[in-house]
This record gives sequence, C-alpha cells and structure tokens, in this order.
Amino acid sequence: MHIRTTLAALALALPLVQPAQASSLSDFLGKAMENPDLVNSVVGAVQNTIDANRTIGPKEEKTLGDGMAANLLGAAPLVNNAGLQSYVNQVGRWVASQSEAPNLDWRFGVIDSPNVNSFATPGGVVLITRGLMDRLRNESELAGVLGHEITHVLRHHVTRAAQSGKGREAVANALQGVAQYKTDDARRQLGANVLSGVSEVYVRGLDKDDEFEADVTGMVLAARAGYNPYALVSVLQTLGEINPSDSSVQLMFSTHPSPQARLDYIDRTVGSRLEKYAAGIENTPRFGAATGR
Amino acid sequence: MKSFLAIVLLGLAGFAWAESGTLVRASELKQKPFTDAASAGKLGSGARVDIVARQGAWMQVKSGSQSGWVKLLNVRTGSGKGSGGGIGQIGSVLTTGSSGTTVTTGVKGLSSEQIRNARPNYNELKKLDGYDATRQSAANGAAANGLKARSVPYLVSRATTSDSTNGNDPQNRRRGP
Repeated sequence: MHIRTTLAALALALPLVQPAQASSLSDFLGKAMENPDLVNSVVGAVQNTIDANRTIGPKEEKTLGDGMAANLLGAAPLVNNAGLQSYVNQVGRWVASQSEAPNLDWRFGVIDSPNVNSFATPGGVVLITRGLMDRLRNESELAGVLGHEITHVLRHHVTRAAQSGKGREAVANALQGVAQYKTDDARRQLGANVLSGVSEVYVRGLDKDDEFEADVTGMVLAARAGYNPYALVSVLQTLGEINPSDSSVQLMFSTHPSPQARLDYIDRTVGSRLEKYAAGIENTPRFGAATGR
Repeated sequence: MKSFLAIVLLGLAGFAWAESGTLVRASELKQKPFTDAASAGKLGSGARVDIVARQGAWMQVKSGSQSGWVKLLNVRTGSGKGSGGGIGQIGSVLTTGSSGTTVTTGVKGLSSEQIRNARPNYNELKKLDGYDATRQSAANGAAANGLKARSVPYLVSRATTSDSTNGNDPQNRRRGP
C-alpha cells in the first residue's frame, strides 16, 4: 500500500521534477531505490504540492485540528473541574452521536475564560468558554450550542476557512509543523508559528452562511438527541441582551453575524418546522449537578 | 459573613435582571403555550414585552396589563442592530442589557490578541483527551436523564441565504459548488 502510494507519487513527480540522470521511469526507479534521499526529496516536493491543493482527509484534519485545539488551550486552559468536563463530554458525545459521524474522535471542553464564545477545531474538538457556560439556562441550551459547533466539524467549515486564500499554504505547512513540534525540539518555533497562522481563522471568523447553517443544523441535531431544539433560539436571545461593546463578547460578535440576524435566519428557515419536537427535554438533574446551579 | 453578602448581592442582581424584548410581528397572546390554546389578547409588531418564562417553542410575556404566551421566534432581544424590529427602543434595551449582568468588563478574556499570541499547550490537550466519553457511555447517560433519540431530517438551509448576506464582504462569499 505504502509502496504503491510512493510509486504513484514518483510517477506524478517525474514530469515535474525531471531528475537529471533519469531517462525513463524504470531507470529513475532503479536509481531511486539506490538513493533514498532522492526519493524523499521528490516525494516531499510532490507532497507539498498535493497538500496545498487537495481536500485534506480525516487523519490530517485531526492532526491539524488537535494542533489548533492545543493553540486555543494555550490561550485559555481547561476549567479545573473534572465533573464539569466529563459532563460536557457526555452531552456533546450524545448530540454528536446523532450525526453522520458518530465515531469521530469527539472531545468537548470548557475553557477558563470569562468571554462568551465557543470553538470547533477540525476533527472533533469543541471548546466552550466558562463565560458562555455560565449564561446557559439548561441542558437543552448547551445541546444547541454544542450542536452548532458539531456542525462546523461535520461540514469542515473551519478546515475550509483555514485553507482559503493564503491559508492553503499555511495548512500544508501546519501539517508538517504539528509533527515537528511534537518530535523535534529545534523546530518548536516553526511549528508554533505556523499553527498560530492557521489559528488566525478564529480571529477572522467563518463564512456567515456557515454560521447560519450551523445554527439550523445544530437545532436539528439537538432535536434528534431528544432536546427542545428551540433552546438555541433562547441562547441567541441571551446573546442579544449583552451590550455589544462589552469586552466579553467582542471576539464572538466580530466573528459571527449578529444574534438578531441569526434569529431572523432561523425564523425564515426553521420557523415552526421543528415544533413537533419542542416538547423534548429542557433540562436534566445532571446539568445542575455539573454547573452547581 | 462575606459569603452571606455575596449571596444577597447575587440575589439582588438576579432580581434586577428582568429580560425584555420586542415583537417582530403582530402576535396573538395565548393563555397556554399551545397553538390551539385560547386567546389572551393581541400585541402589535414592535410591542415591548417583559420575558417571564420559556417553554418549548413558546415564551411567556407581559406587556402593560396584558400577559400570555407568544412564539419564541416572534421576539428579539437587544438593540435590534442588523435586523428588523426593536430599533425604536434602543435606549431601554441597552439599559436592560447592561444592567445586572455578571459580565466582567475590563477583565481580559479570550481576545484576538491572546489567540494570536498563544503557544500550543499539548499537555492541556492531553487532559482534554482524558475527559472524553465513549459513544456507549454517552448513550447510557442520556437514557438515565430521560433523553430519547428521534429521527429528524436535516433542514436544507443553504439555498435561502442569499438575501441575508452582504455582497461587499469577502467573508460572505459562498465557497465551493
């Protein structure tokens, strides 16, 4: 399998790279077998070209996403409360289990920031701030928020945003950077810088349409999980009550459509279509136990 | 003593923070949170409401002498920036929005700067990995809390977004096919 991939890469590379002494494919392969460095350099060059252009696969998304999650956790660590962390994983994994990717490596965490925000990283990490957690009234609201972020993962919204424009190269570099960061101390700086470049997507924000899609699909996932899907409407109403000039919402408001615009979109797109599921669960005893409320 | 004071202050803050909103369309007030419940009156578009409670797709509201249930989606909170409804009452909404909340204005949170300057913390990621739930344990937990999975089709939403986007903003451009 691996050899076949390498051969295919070499065949692809031939017309591009034209090794000086290779006059035919078999000739080149013969030389290549004697000279591993040549193989590596050619495969490396091809790999870079591919990385910059293709849709990256699940494994790479996880590698990239875990690096981005490590970066976010470098900005704000996990809340030091094992009960709370396990609780959001119980709820998040249950909601994610209702999706077309129930067996992704889903991980959920509450990060120690008073800001109101939540983040998804490619491959299955979802982080919600303590500031947002504190404003949720019940478990169905949490399910709605997690459903929104789960949708960003399912539909590769963050990956696509990170790959857009100049980000394509940053993604390709990051895939190497992540590996280097873990294995080679001398390259730490490069890995961290490249990751920082890719993580710029959390400052720039996603496509507005992706945010709207995440709201609607998040409501559907919450409904599938047995919750009242309209709880996400209540969350957006809560966000709408926060003074936009408050520092705790600055990043979230600058990277998302306004809560009012999101409610208008849900109004038009969902309206009463999920009302037959509105009698679902609003809250659970475990929500109170985990949040101390 | 200190904690007693804190509790009193929290209580006061909670008491003072009454949620309010504005109707985006004329709405019939229902006596109960059901479409076929008896009418309890009518409110016009733009009417200010105090939010009393929420249930399912419904919200219990008060407006002047009237009270009853309206659809959640008929109500917008906040300044109404960027959408229809509520713009006439910006002043009072902002007052409500900024009073009695526990927001920590001035305290540094997770800002753009912090994300830009962050160094990857793989130890913290390892901790995160350790808290994960298996699919089975999440299903057991859900069942123990009364949750039942339901079959709900996805709603197709992308096709209707063109009127909600601003063509001048590159972030709004649709990607892909």
